[in-house]
Amino acid sequence: MGLKAVTSGQSLVSGKLGFARHSSLPLGDVVMNCKEFEENLTLDLYGDLPPEQRADYEGHLAGCVNCQAAREQVRSLHEVLAQRPRIEPSPDFLVECRQALVEALDRERLGWHGLIREWLPFLQLSMAPRIAFALSLIVFGFGLGWTLRPQAARVVPSVPGNVTTSSLAGADFENMRINDISRVAPDPKTGDVRITMDAQRRVILEGSLDDPHIQQLLVYAMKSYDNAGIRRDTLDALRARSKSPNIRAALLYAMEHDANVGNRLAALDAVRGMEGGDDLQQSLMEVLEHDRNMGVRAESVDVLVDHVEKEGRDEAILSALERLATNDPNRYVRLKCASALRKLGSDGF
Amino acid sequence: MEGCLELAGNIPEEARQLSGGDEIALIRRAQGGDPEAFDALVRVYDQNVLRLTLQVVHSQEEAQDLYQEAFLKVYRSLRYFRLEARFSTWLYRVVMNVCLDYLRRQSTRREVQGPERDDGEPEYFQTVPDERPVLDPERAVHSKEIGRRIQAALQRLNPRERMVFELKHYQGLKLRAIGELCKTSEQTVKNCLFRATQKLRTELGDLV
Repeated sequence: MGLKAVTSGQSLVSGKLGFARHSSLPLGDVVMNCKEFEENLTLDLYGDLPPEQRADYEGHLAGCVNCQAAREQVRSLHEVLAQRPRIEPSPDFLVECRQALVEALDRERLGWHGLIREWLPFLQLSMAPRIAFALSLIVFGFGLGWTLRPQAARVVPSVPGNVTTSSLAGADFENMRINDISRVAPDPKTGDVRITMDAQRRVILEGSLDDPHIQQLLVYAMKSYDNAGIRRDTLDALRARSKSPNIRAALLYAMEHDANVGNRLAALDAVRGMEGGDDLQQSLMEVLEHDRNMGVRAESVDVLVDHVEKEGRDEAILSALERLATNDPNRYVRLKCASALRKLGSDGF
Repeated sequence: MEGCLELAGNIPEEARQLSGGDEIALIRRAQGGDPEAFDALVRVYDQNVLRLTLQVVHSQEEAQDLYQEAFLKVYRSLRYFRLEARFSTWLYRVVMNVCLDYLRRQSTRREVQGPERDDGEPEYFQTVPDERPVLDPERAVHSKEIGRRIQAALQRLNPRERMVFELKHYQGLKLRAIGELCKTSEQTVKNCLFRATQKLRTELGDLV
């Protein structure tokens, strides 16, 4: 904060947030203006005002009514701010945080971060091995990407031994992908040639969701297709037909086993409207107890509560909730379980 | 770094018994992969870290998440810490960045979601017991209302202003220490603090 000399050409009008010089001091003296005072005011109230600026600061304060008011206002602001509750972490909460951190660190040491750390010393030997390693990672990544690239044209699973004989007239070569020609056999008698190959064709099927063939395809896609987005679209299409036993089973399967967390959550949402049953309860409990994602476990608590409210009290569910209210590794899930038990009127909660 | 020494004013017993040499030895062991050494380091600082995160987010759940995220980041990058700076400065810089990221996310979310709900108050703020003596219910309500207004005003500061204000006003760090944490000059911190104070004056003008 520089100190400045007042010159006769500057305004002498003092304002609350103005830039005026203080008029009671003789021209040519070094003095703070109101803006500089306000900036230093914050420091003063924290006891951080540099000693070399104290005299100018006090000098301005003594002669400027507006800055006196501003100082009083900021001092009052500090008093108001002191009324904000100061939250002190309780010892229990601190212990809980430490415990959760220990668990997270254990997972970290066992996870891929840990593996990288284990390998890092070997990778830091010299520049050449590092470059070689980087190149091999690129090659490996490219190879993996190529191998796992989306196979959009594969709509129906191929069945070994399923060979179709087609004539040239019926073949649609533009929409066909030829993967492998395994045999070319000329017929000496006719002069024709027989080509044996594996080919894929893009097929568009349209039909009602009530059509068993459509349902069968969709159930297959939801359970087995490798693209999570397609599985999700399929799930959304099928959820309205959950009364069909096959679709019900597929939704429960997705809820338990879909590799994508978002899909498992969507499946959980889809089963909310289902009719009750042992299969539903068993699947929900499986999710609650074993899903690796805490969000899914937490959501399953709500669905289970709905289930109990519709179907009636079930000791197996209550017992699982009680167990997880104390044992689940995630605090939020534990709280959800405890809250669910209170809602369901379990003793002790 | 003075500010962090001030922060260390309320740290647990282990911290007070830890000399500079002991800390360096612990850091070296932790860098070598000794989990117990890292755990010991955590216990030196974690109460203050938790206090800071709790003060910033006013929610136990989120404070715990930030606490964990900060220490996991410290764990992952400890091997790059070169002992040239103070460990506490480095650690609190990580914590501050984690808090800043959180505040930025919150700020973006508020922009997307539009105006906050009427009570505008985080969950924990309503449940945390205010242990100061309360003379009568009316005063308690008034006090709660003021607390809510302060929290809402603080939330309207931009993330950097909010962190600088928290560190200065509620944690008592020196400007120079905050500058070190933010990797910026003392003057910039001072300007930031000034802007935050001016905004709070405007927001809370009717209470002053």
